[in-house]
Parts: sequence; C-alpha cells; structure tokens
Amino acid sequence: MEKTEVEVGETSRERKGKAPLLAETPAALGHARASGYKRGVSIFDLILRICAAAAALGAAVAMGTTQQTLPFFTQFFQFQASYDDLPTFSFFVIAMAIVTGYLVLSIPFSIVCIVRPLAKAPRFLLILFDTCANVEDIDDMSQTFITPQHKFLTLSNVNDVQLAVALATSAGGSSAAIVYLAHNGNSGANWLAICQQFDNFCQRVSGAVVAAFITVVLLILLVVLSAAALRKH
Amino acid sequence: MKGVAVELGVKDPSVRRTGVNRGVAVIDFILRIIAITATLASAIAMGTTDETLPFFTQFIRFRAKYDDLPMFTFFVVANSIASAYLVLSLALSIFHIIKSGAQNSRVVLIFFDAGMLALVSAGASAAAAIVYLAHKGNTRTNWFAICQQFNSFCERISGSLIGSFVAMVVLILLILLSAAALSRRY
Repeated sequence: MEKTEVEVGETSRERKGKAPLLAETPAALGHARASGYKRGVSIFDLILRICAAAAALGAAVAMGTTQQTLPFFTQFFQFQASYDDLPTFSFFVIAMAIVTGYLVLSIPFSIVCIVRPLAKAPRFLLILFDTCANVEDIDDMSQTFITPQHKFLTLSNVNDVQLAVALATSAGGSSAAIVYLAHNGNSGANWLAICQQFDNFCQRVSGAVVAAFITVVLLILLVVLSAAALRKH
Repeated sequence: MKGVAVELGVKDPSVRRTGVNRGVAVIDFILRIIAITATLASAIAMGTTDETLPFFTQFIRFRAKYDDLPMFTFFVVANSIASAYLVLSLALSIFHIIKSGAQNSRVVLIFFDAGMLALVSAGASAAAAIVYLAHKGNTRTNWFAICQQFNSFCERISGSLIGSFVAMVVLILLILLSAAALSRRY
C-alpha cells in the first residue's frame, strides 16, 4: 500500500503546533476596507471641527468686541455699553473662548487620523485629548491572528466633545436670556428694554448668541459621529 | 503530522465583557432615575412659585409668578420635556440590561441624550442668568434686584436650579457610560 502524502501548505506556526492562520486573507481585505471607511469618517470629523471652531471663535469675537457709546447724555442713564457690563456676557466670552481653544487644539489630532488612520497614539494623551486609534490589549492569545479592532475615535473624544456641548449651551442659553430681556424688557420686574437705545450693541450681541447655538448643533453632530464610529464593525 | 488547533487556557472573553456591560447598563438605569427625580423636582419647584407681597403702591407690581419671566417658563418646559424623555428612555435602558450587546440602539440613545443635555443646560443657564440678575441687579442697565422684596420667590427659584444642574451632570455621565459600553470590544 502506498502512502500518499497530501501536502497542505504548512506555515511555521503550524509546524510549532499553534492554530492555523485561517483568517489572514479575508482579514487583510477587511483591514483595507475599514481603513478607507475610517479615513472618510475622519475627514468628516475634521470638517465638523473646523466649522465648529470657526463658529465658536466668531461668537467670542463678536461678543468681546462690543462697545457702543451713544452721542447724548442725561443725568440718569449710562450711555456706554460693552460686554463686561453684564457678567453673563463675560461668562459667554470666556466659555466660547475655551470651546474654541479645545477645538483648535484637537484639530492636529484629527489630521493625524486622516493621514494614518490606524496609528497608535501615546497612552498618556488618551485622557486629555482625542487620539486616532487605540490598539486594544492583545493579551488574549487567540486574538492575535485576527486583526485587532481599532477604535479610531476613542472614548475621550466623546467625553471632551460633550463637555464642550454643555459649556457652549450654557453660554448661549444664559446670554440668550439676557438678550431677550434687553429686547423686550420686563414689566413685572420693572426692567427696561435697553435695545431701544443701544441698537448696534444689541445686534452684535444677538448675532453672537446665534453663532453659539450653531456651534452647539455642530458639536452635537460631532458627538453622534464619534459615538457611531465607536461601534464594532 | 499536522498540528492540532487547540486553544489552551483561554477564558471566553465575550462572557466577561457582556458581564461588565450589563453592570454598566444597570448603573445607567439608576442614573436615569436620579435624573428623572432631579428634573421633575426642578420643574415642579419652579412651576409652583407664587408670591404676593402684603402691601402695594402705584408703581410696582407685588405679585411674582414663574410665568412673569419667559425664561422661567422655558425652564419649566425644558425640564418637563427632559423628564418625560428620561421616563421613556428607561424602557430602552432596561432593554440594554437584558441585551447588553446592542450597539445601534446605544447610538440612538447617545443622540437623544446629547440633545437633552443641550436643552437642559440651555434652560438651566437661562434661568441662572435671570436668578443672578434678580439677586444682584445691574446698575449699568438700570435693572433693579427684585430679590430684595420677593424673598420666598427668590429662594424657590434659586433652589430649583440645583436639580437642573444635577440633571445636567447626570446626563453627561449617561452619555459617557453609553459610549464606554459601545467601545468595549466583543
């Protein structure tokens, strides 16, 4: 009886008695496809960040450069209006400046994600800033032969952006309340509508509040995008 | 002889992760109940304000209610909408406890939670701005501090802000928990 040896291609791993590399070729294809999809989402993420940073910067600048002096005076009324007359507007400028600073600082990380969508980021930056990808701990030996799941937008991304959402809506909401009072006044509390005199100041401030709410909408889109990207594919 | 594919000594990772996700879903449920009580308490505390001072003159009104100021009306409406949404999302939270592997429903939950976070923080900050004005007034715009007359009204509106800010912090934690549950690999 002849022994027929059927040669099935053995890798070095199989010679050592470990599990065969069954999933290598399909995983490599999926790897390339996932990389293209992640690059697309990273580009959209970057565009959203730039737009939100521009809106936040516009809001802070529009509010911070308000100053109007009326050309007449009487004994009873102040005729100069600037943003720091109302502490709510000071809070608005500071909060939108913080949001702009965060978004501007996170743009380089977003760019790195586009260029190298599966890059591994230093661990110490994970808590503070957004990072590209986080190669999950590969302690399970059974997982080493399959492509590790790359969470290219990590948890800190979602957390930081939603803190920015909370800050921006607080600033926008409180300033909207004051702007509404400035436009309409309140008879019950005897608060006079100052917009009737300071119309330039009023327009600038109202525009700043609108820009803050645009920032909020863009940031919410960013949160949902980051959350959707966290899913396993 | 070909090697035999044997996985030795590897604990099944999917069971461990599902267990942690179930714990996260339970914490999510408890936090939602806390947020419901906070927003409901704020809405009721603000909505039942009514103070009438025992004297009167020709010039100033001496009755204060929450709907004298539209920001307080917005505050009551925003907190009511948030508590109604949170009650409805309890069902989704229970679904996540039972089926911890759900992903798309968690993304939907994060979307609505983020929207509610924006709504609640807008309402809370608008009311906070008016409460600050009511306490301090503003000399530049000649706005008078009404708290000096309406003590009980003032205390009530200041206290109702606390529940709303607690609900804001809880919503932030809820979004973080849902994102953490999403990001754990199966």
